[in-house]
Amino acid sequence: MIEFQNVSVLYPGTTEPALQDVNVTFKRGEFVCVLGKSGAGKSTFIRCINGLQPVSEGSIKWENKSLADMSNKENLEVRQKTGMIFQHFNLIPRMSVVQNILTGLFGYKKSYENLIGLFNSTERQYALEAIQQVELTVEPTRRVENLSGGQKQRVAIARALVQNPKVFLGDEPVASLDPGTAERIFQLLKETHVKRNLVSIINVHDVVLAKKFATRIIALKNGKLVFDGVPEKFDDLMYAEIYNY
Amino acid sequence: MVWFKRSQFFVFLCLIVVIGMCMRITEFDVSKFKDFQNMGDFLSKWFPMNTESLPYLFQESLLTIAIAFLGSLFGLIIGLPLSFLAARNTSNNRLMYGVTRFFLSFMRSVPEFVFGLILLTTLGLGPFPAVIAIVLHNIGVLGKLISELIEAADKGPMEAMRAVGAKKWIGNLFAILPQIWPNVLSQFFYRFEVAIRTSLILGLIGGGGIGQQLFIHFKTFQYQLVSVDVLLIMVMVILVDYIGGKIREKVI
Repeated sequence: MIEFQNVSVLYPGTTEPALQDVNVTFKRGEFVCVLGKSGAGKSTFIRCINGLQPVSEGSIKWENKSLADMSNKENLEVRQKTGMIFQHFNLIPRMSVVQNILTGLFGYKKSYENLIGLFNSTERQYALEAIQQVELTVEPTRRVENLSGGQKQRVAIARALVQNPKVFLGDEPVASLDPGTAERIFQLLKETHVKRNLVSIINVHDVVLAKKFATRIIALKNGKLVFDGVPEKFDDLMYAEIYNY
Repeated sequence: MVWFKRSQFFVFLCLIVVIGMCMRITEFDVSKFKDFQNMGDFLSKWFPMNTESLPYLFQESLLTIAIAFLGSLFGLIIGLPLSFLAARNTSNNRLMYGVTRFFLSFMRSVPEFVFGLILLTTLGLGPFPAVIAIVLHNIGVLGKLISELIEAADKGPMEAMRAVGAKKWIGNLFAILPQIWPNVLSQFFYRFEVAIRTSLILGLIGGGGIGQQLFIHFKTFQYQLVSVDVLLIMVMVILVDYIGGKIREKVI
């Protein structure tokens, strides 16, 4: 469904590419964890998938169509069906839980509808259902900056859910959460993934979490793909290779 | 002296020289205060206040507030969208960024007083040209200040809005405006306060309001009315500052 063909990314002003000749394909139903040290290119890798980061060489194909060949509208459509969650949640401050969740629908609606907040009852129902799905127990009208880290990430996941995504991307979604909360958030991601039969590609530092939940692990080192296989094959040797211990 | 580098002494010396030069140019001379008595005599003529014209002067004060309010509010309404074009992170391209920045600097560099003098030729005397003069200058000031708030805003929400597939301008608006809104309001209320003082100066060129009254009273030696004017001006400025503070508290 998503295919990387010889993808390299070179940031302006640097000589070392952030991604180097990466070839990989993802299919529906796969729950992929991306491992690697800080600076190995994990964030760049994830951001390439929905075009937030343009590639310098090679191409990324969605259902056999390259992102680079798509029109602006098609690119936005790719992002609409890609739910993305971030390490720092990236919620809009001073807006409520339900308002934040409804911004997930922005890609589907006309500009003037977004501008004045014109959401019909079905769409509002979506948002409330998403709150239930992520097991968020706070008042929907509460402002997001008053929530705990775990609650904020649940709001962010709910925002991704109302997009009715085909793909889930996570850029270190549990890195700023305590271990217990991190595991519960991963559990939630996995359940949603299974229920909706998605492709999920998630960056993570915690190898234990990755081995517990992933159906496939890939690892990056200095921008190169150095491992791609089932979690059972990711052994201590590989761990040492990637983290240089 | 571990806290200082040798080069800092040089900077300090330069500063002393510059201060000395500025004092010469401005005829800065504290000894002139020996004629302090004159000021006391002059101020004593301000009292007792002549409160007979208070209702009329109050009305003129309302006119001043109206000029200042419209001037700063319309300045904000026009300056806010321009500030998104003048911020590096939200501008569409470098040309647009450069042109908008230049336009804002230009508007800022022309004092309200000059805008007022130019507008007099088409709009005539009265409060209307005063409002427009304040609007034009405030577009430049608020546009620049808000564009700097935009540039300093957290990038995270912008990235999230790009990721949901929102159109760029909608994404920028929603990701940034809620973040900077309390600061936008405090800039607005500060500019409102400044506009009250500006509209006093515009009174000098027939802009109306309490400023014009102040100059008339001053020129016709009616000092007991001047004191009433000054009192009303002080009350206005303090009131705007107080109300602005309360509104901002509510918003945060």
